[in-house]
Amino acid sequence: MKRSTRTGLAVTGFFMIAGLAAWGYQFREGLVVTNMRNSYSWGLYVSGRAFFVGNAAGGLVLSSLIYLFGVKSLKPFARLGALTAFANVTAAMFAILPDIGYPLRLYHMILNPQMMSPLIWDVAILNLYALLSLLYLFLLMLPDFKGPFKRLTRRIKDPESFSEKWAKRLAPFTLVAAVGIHVITAWVFSTQGARDWWHSAALAPDFISVAVASGTALVYLVCMAAYGARERYQDAYRTMAVFMSVAFFIHLFLMYNDFFIHTWYGADHALEPLSVLFKEYGVAHAFEVAAPLAAVILLLNSRVRRSAAGVIGCCFVFILGVFMHRFLLMPGAFDRVPLTITPLGLQDQQWSVPIASGDYGPGLDTFVTLYHYFPSGVEIVIFLGVFAYMCFLLVLAMDRLPVVVREVES
Amino acid sequence: MRRGMVIDLEKCIGCRSCAVACKQHNAQPAGNWWNRVVTPGSDSHLTAPVKGREYFLPVSCQHCRNAPCEKVCPVGATYRSDDGSVLVDFERCIGCRYCMSACPYGVRQFNWEDPQKALDKYGYQNGYSYGYPKDYRLKGRLVYMKKRFKGVVEKCNFCVHYQEKGLDPACVRSCPGKARYVGDLDDPESVVSTLIRDKNGFNLLGEKGTKPSVFYLPPRRKEGVE
Repeated sequence: MKRSTRTGLAVTGFFMIAGLAAWGYQFREGLVVTNMRNSYSWGLYVSGRAFFVGNAAGGLVLSSLIYLFGVKSLKPFARLGALTAFANVTAAMFAILPDIGYPLRLYHMILNPQMMSPLIWDVAILNLYALLSLLYLFLLMLPDFKGPFKRLTRRIKDPESFSEKWAKRLAPFTLVAAVGIHVITAWVFSTQGARDWWHSAALAPDFISVAVASGTALVYLVCMAAYGARERYQDAYRTMAVFMSVAFFIHLFLMYNDFFIHTWYGADHALEPLSVLFKEYGVAHAFEVAAPLAAVILLLNSRVRRSAAGVIGCCFVFILGVFMHRFLLMPGAFDRVPLTITPLGLQDQQWSVPIASGDYGPGLDTFVTLYHYFPSGVEIVIFLGVFAYMCFLLVLAMDRLPVVVREVES
Repeated sequence: MRRGMVIDLEKCIGCRSCAVACKQHNAQPAGNWWNRVVTPGSDSHLTAPVKGREYFLPVSCQHCRNAPCEKVCPVGATYRSDDGSVLVDFERCIGCRYCMSACPYGVRQFNWEDPQKALDKYGYQNGYSYGYPKDYRLKGRLVYMKKRFKGVVEKCNFCVHYQEKGLDPACVRSCPGKARYVGDLDDPESVVSTLIRDKNGFNLLGEKGTKPSVFYLPPRRKEGVE
């Protein structure tokens, strides 16, 4: 095991253990240790979940580009694509677990599923996608298995062509499942008529575009760590950079198209979330747009793509920007109380009916109309633990499994 | 049968008796209020936003016919009983709080910590506690319990535990202004249907399409108006 691998595993392992400990503490004390309350019932855990789901798109992008659109130059990266997909879709499931108030009852999801609930579709599609990406990874690695895994493939006469044939057959299904995870994740939010910030038909296509961009960014970053900025891969890297930027520009269009329509019409209920975004979270919004924009513009430059540090920096900043975008899913939805009315007999006034906070304390308001949320330490440590799990899995798999195709070096 | 409620804003004096009765009868933990009464347009309750222009608005679960909370619940913990009431099965709820996000009325509350711990924060004397003491099951489902589980959602249950005794909800019985009525919205001759018809009953956030079973009667005059 290389020293860098050992360090990587130790650091991510430490954060995983810290995250688990924090979850244990939260399990004992209740979700009161988070900064969520009745009026702000979802926070970093749900944002984090959407973030990881988005990152899981990388596998889809690569496999469909290679096997459906014939971009052969990306082939060496297909395994890393499937690996990041699996790591992130499982991270998405882990990210949501600590959000569950009574996790010991999760079996009801299987025993008593309520088929109208988008959350049930969500759990189903995430599990399906996790299975498919694992199967895909297995198929792609099949020709290069060594040791105990080798026995699994004993009966296959020509592993190379078997792998190729089945990867190609499976590609359309993973594409459907991958599009499905983003659409259904978006539906969890956009079906909520109570929250004007989410209740938009633009949300599902927007989730797909963000996911394609951030999923590709993550695979690009991992590829750079594994293969470096070698000349032989520049063609493939260019394809990924173009793909990322096109997806990001589509995202910008979908987002601002939505903002434009609401701003033009000028209804209070739609303007309010926008004012939350631009006034209270203006800096965060500037970051979610400017950081990824700068990153893709730099990556479209071939000189930047030839510097491993440059690419890693750009992809990192890009993913950070996407994370901010996911975090901003919440304030627009929860900073404003949905039960906002025009009081009878008063002109031009919008008034929000306060909500019981759910927490009692000498200095606390019993009823709140404004609640500023920032995740608590426990929430942050748990989220970092899930992030560390995702990185841990990537580092471990890259060390133990034939995910990095060495023979192309010869 | 579709159980519904009418609240006459003409008669509501904003005393919050209904909120307190509701909280006590239903053993709500510290910080949770299934029922709240506000003065629309004003930052302080019982303070007129404009002189002579105050009225009071009690808000609790609207028991919607097209209830978003019921539709989003992944495990059917929030469900509709035979009379149309939207109930929460405390034994089924997994605490995902999807319903809280989906409800436009902000009436759903969460047990963020152990309810006993939450109650202790109130610092009542000599271990005073409150709430209907016995669990209540409706066709096997636990729709009322005094000591809630940590990590589950709760909200107005139309005082389902009093219904078989022939009693109206605590908020109705405790209202000194007699502003609240319950009855069958399906029966055109019921008190509630008649009041809605004769006195221009309206819903909150009708534009959201939730079809609430709680109706409000607009106040004819404001207090203090000559």
